[in-house]
Amino acid sequence: MRKQLLLGLLIFCVWAFIITFIHINVVRSGRIVSQLQREADIKEARNQYEELEIARLSGPEIITTFASEKLGLVQIKPHEVFVLEDK
Amino acid sequence: MMFPQNSFSKPTVFNVKKRMKVVLILMLLAPLCITGRLFYLQLFQHEQYSSKAERTIYNYLAEDRLRGSIYDVQGRVLARSVRTHSCGIVKRYVKDQTATIDFLASTLGISKAQIYEKWKKNKNFFFVAKKIKPDVYMKLAAVRRSTLGQGMELTPEYERLHPFGKSAIDILGEANSKNVGLSGIEQMYNEELTQDISKKRAKRSARGEIIYDRHLKEKVKTGNVYLTIDQTAQFYTERALAKAVEQNNPDRAIALVQDPNTGYILAAASYPAKDGQSLAFQFTYEPGSTFKSLVVATALDSGTLSPDAQIDMSGRNWEVAKGFIVRDKQHQKDSLSLPEILQLSSNIGAGKIALEIGPKTLFSYFKAFGFGSKTDINFNGESKGSIAPYNTWTKVDLATKGYGYGVAVTPIQLITAYSAIANGGTLMQPHLVDRIEYANGKVDKKAKPIKIRRVISKTTAQTMREFLQTVVEVGSGKRAKIKGYNVAGKTGTAEKLDKEGGYGKRNHVVSFCGMVPATNPQFTILVILDNPAKYAFGSTAAAPVFKEIAEPLLVLKAVAPDQTDFE
Repeated sequence: MRKQLLLGLLIFCVWAFIITFIHINVVRSGRIVSQLQREADIKEARNQYEELEIARLSGPEIITTFASEKLGLVQIKPHEVFVLEDK
Repeated sequence: MMFPQNSFSKPTVFNVKKRMKVVLILMLLAPLCITGRLFYLQLFQHEQYSSKAERTIYNYLAEDRLRGSIYDVQGRVLARSVRTHSCGIVKRYVKDQTATIDFLASTLGISKAQIYEKWKKNKNFFFVAKKIKPDVYMKLAAVRRSTLGQGMELTPEYERLHPFGKSAIDILGEANSKNVGLSGIEQMYNEELTQDISKKRAKRSARGEIIYDRHLKEKVKTGNVYLTIDQTAQFYTERALAKAVEQNNPDRAIALVQDPNTGYILAAASYPAKDGQSLAFQFTYEPGSTFKSLVVATALDSGTLSPDAQIDMSGRNWEVAKGFIVRDKQHQKDSLSLPEILQLSSNIGAGKIALEIGPKTLFSYFKAFGFGSKTDINFNGESKGSIAPYNTWTKVDLATKGYGYGVAVTPIQLITAYSAIANGGTLMQPHLVDRIEYANGKVDKKAKPIKIRRVISKTTAQTMREFLQTVVEVGSGKRAKIKGYNVAGKTGTAEKLDKEGGYGKRNHVVSFCGMVPATNPQFTILVILDNPAKYAFGSTAAAPVFKEIAEPLLVLKAVAPDQTDFE
């Protein structure tokens, strides 16, 4: 009877220790996940900045300025446009 | 000698086995107690202790409010929130003041003196920098666990970015670092754009580092707002207006482009451009001669006058009532046809037509064109203008309304009325927001071409377009001519009421409202220059701006010329 009690106690101790160990590890992993998430957010923000820069560079102001000042292009007059329609 | 015999004198025999068991139990009991306590604390008391720790160490609440973007009709980003960080210092956690300040100064590009000054001024905490870009943030975050990073607090916040700078800022408005819309579209559609996902909890570690709790993250439900504005059209409109402002130096300037067939606003530029304060919807003015087109349209549509009617001009001085004389100096004719009245912008002609129409009919047409009431475009601070009830009009009031005085209109009202002439007589509901797209894929279509009412018949609209075409061909609007295209439009030069209540030449508004191509209008464009520095006319100051806006738009939308012989 005593032996069984002692064995039960031992099993309980081991179980409690394992559970505690797992819980501590879960918390630690959560922290790592949180840090990774933060890094992902930063990379996402950096990506958004890049996207906005692309949007700015492909905007009409930059294109028009570049076309006229760097490439020496002249803006076409509307009557000079020929529209080829698909049949 | 005999010693008394007592019970203790009996030699005791120790049971070693028993003692061993007791020691074993005691040895087992100690780790059992420790494990049991740990088990209890970790599983049952975790929340209580962690929140207690938060309260005792630091309790920090960071609002995380997501915000959708604003796009133009083509899907180009006009405004987007990007997550940035602010860097603060909690003085008591800083271990090495000099090293920390040196590091912050070199990383953030701020002078050491500036940081020292803030350090001295603030007792416990101060912000070193805000809106820190991701690359700089990475450098700061890298040292957080070292001595340098102790006391450094990096708080997430948002920056609302506009890739096209100040372009359309008067429409878009502003949102703050907490992602709350403050003005313009940002404020009007704040509910659709934002989602307060949670109040994120965060705690500070012993090193002073803030650890955010991400357990409360929810599904993203924010919406993206798509405007009817076309960024390319907006750019050309703003560029043309900026040039006109440079040449004429007005107090205010407005340029508005509308698709007459749908009512969609394609571009809206204001000068001066203030966040969320678009003059296109908020500015009211007496339109002057641009109003004559609507009076002539009323006369034709109501059957008051036929298209070939002639208006008597004998004397070129017209005494409307005793002491109130209207003069025409721009012609020597004794009678004018309706197109000539528009070409020469005759005040006598328009005034006489208004008298012919009568107050009740004229008032009802003004109301039908949408004047005196808001357009429901849903822009904050939109004015409804004003038109007094017709039963209060005197003969002079009626005559002056004929040439655009005594009424207050907004640019959006006037362009929508002209669009009715352009599209064959139907007043269309103007739209600024095309649709809202939510994260779950739901699309809320806001801009559907809505016909409010038919104001004038198709025939009247056609005749009016022909009349207005002659204004550009031979009349005051010559400078709006575009090679290959028929342009219809009307100039306006209106004197403004001065402080004494009279009209003086010093303060004036010049404008031009027109449509192109006149045979099948694709664009209605209104240009207004309020109080140019030197006295100017709609024909010289505003009509060329119309042309400068219209030309690239015709190219952009590949609108074919409606003139066949234009070489």
